[in-house]
Amino acid sequence: MSGFKRDWSGNAKRRDGPKQVPKQVVRNAYTPMFEGLRNELDEHHDRRERIVKASRDITALSKKIIFSLQRVRKIESQLPANIQAEIDSRLAEISKLLATIAPEIQGINRYRYSRSLMCLEELAEALTFAHYLRTQSLISHAELDPIIEELARKGAVSEDEVMADASDTAGNVEKSAPPTTEPPTVSLTQDDYLYGVFDLTGEMMRFATTSTALSGTMAGGRGGEGGDDEPRTIVQDMHELGTLFEMLPVGAGNRFQWGKKLEVTRQSVVKVERLGYDRIIRGSERPKGWIPDLSSGDQGQGDELE
Amino acid sequence: MAPPMIDPALFDELKTKIEEDTNVRKELDQILDDLNQQVSFTQGVLSRIHSTPRSKYSTLLNQIEGGIQKQIETVSKLSAFASQFPYYKYNHKWTRMVQDAVATVIICAWLGGMSTDSKPGEVGRLLTPEDIGRAFNVPVNLKDRDAFHITIEEYLLGLITVIDDLSRLAVNSVTLGDNSMAVQISGFIKDLHAGFQVLNLKNDILRKRVDSIKYAVKKVEDVVYDLSLRNLIPAQEPQ
Repeated sequence: MSGFKRDWSGNAKRRDGPKQVPKQVVRNAYTPMFEGLRNELDEHHDRRERIVKASRDITALSKKIIFSLQRVRKIESQLPANIQAEIDSRLAEISKLLATIAPEIQGINRYRYSRSLMCLEELAEALTFAHYLRTQSLISHAELDPIIEELARKGAVSEDEVMADASDTAGNVEKSAPPTTEPPTVSLTQDDYLYGVFDLTGEMMRFATTSTALSGTMAGGRGGEGGDDEPRTIVQDMHELGTLFEMLPVGAGNRFQWGKKLEVTRQSVVKVERLGYDRIIRGSERPKGWIPDLSSGDQGQGDELE
Repeated sequence: MAPPMIDPALFDELKTKIEEDTNVRKELDQILDDLNQQVSFTQGVLSRIHSTPRSKYSTLLNQIEGGIQKQIETVSKLSAFASQFPYYKYNHKWTRMVQDAVATVIICAWLGGMSTDSKPGEVGRLLTPEDIGRAFNVPVNLKDRDAFHITIEEYLLGLITVIDDLSRLAVNSVTLGDNSMAVQISGFIKDLHAGFQVLNLKNDILRKRVDSIKYAVKKVEDVVYDLSLRNLIPAQEPQ
């Protein structure tokens, strides 16, 4: 909040002081009805504002998780400890934010504010990416949903502990206060999941590029246990993901967005293909540590920043 | 070996969900086609009000109410179907049509129609959101459960359509020699204008439409000015 305005004698003026004066309203037969409607609309606007604020923070934190994950160099069941620690602390923050908005988006309000909840798409992207780096597979909606619900629940619990010593009274605290009932959680819609996975392809493309350039090998599974099978690489995984989206029927709700995302996915698949080809044909010639120009890969990602 | 990249069940599940969604939309479209036709028809009948003298309102109002009755039936069909799904997931598909339907009912009642046992019809009666809910037999501003209802925004946006239409009627009623109607409309629109100023609006569609009310106010004020200049305002003002 910015500074105060001061009056002639140097006393701070109330910020909202002059605002109340100009609203002089002629009262008539319909005024009470409109006042009632105003209160309803205000409630809606205030709630949306709170959601938008939290959503923006969650988006930023999710992006930071993704950046941390991009520092991983290979696919293995355990992320490097320092990166895991970074992610955990970000997730703890996200957890708290989710808990604060959870009561606002229950029941009918879940879809009412789904446009203000774009953060869940971003969070889904981060979590699917983390899951891929650990297991080299795509997590399903049914598996991801409980993880996010658990995040919201954990946030609510730690919130309660904080409230025990600081008796804070905010409007939305009261709603989440009763400890006996199950705290409300945040659910992931099908669209949140799908668009998160769309964006996952972009992250996989970046990961494939940097890890290949730095390690000189194509990221993938370890050599099969005892089998002669070549381990599956990220090139195949990208192909599978690309095929998944090509085969899915286009969601009727937002064909436009779907088309745009699909186009970006196709480009990412082609980029990784090219990487695989390069690796085979001249992988041995390339000096270790050489990184291809990634700037073109930023297209399409850039316009998601609100 | 490592698990496959994509579990085959995952694809099937996504596909089923998307197909379900598409089917819901198709069925909604059918209901909304009906509603669209009925609303257009009612609006068409309503537009005759601009060339009908007040003495002949009652027959016209009967026709309008006939159209409204059809709308009500379709809205209840819509309500039954849409209540099976999250309300705001599909709300955008019908909200414009519901606004228009609400507008026809409000204007019909203002002209003296939509009389019920408890409330006889009279010119100048404004239906509240609750009245609209009763007329359509659906809830209004539902908050505690996820089912079909008419939202406050839909009511207000419908009301703004009514204001535009009445400002046109003010002009035409003078042409038909009904000067007191113009004066009454002027009073009504000014009151509503004051009412809308009570609202705290955000930068959205409602704000845009509310901003247009002032033109309607100006239009009827000009009419009243012309009348008063020529001493044509009836001495006995109804108000």
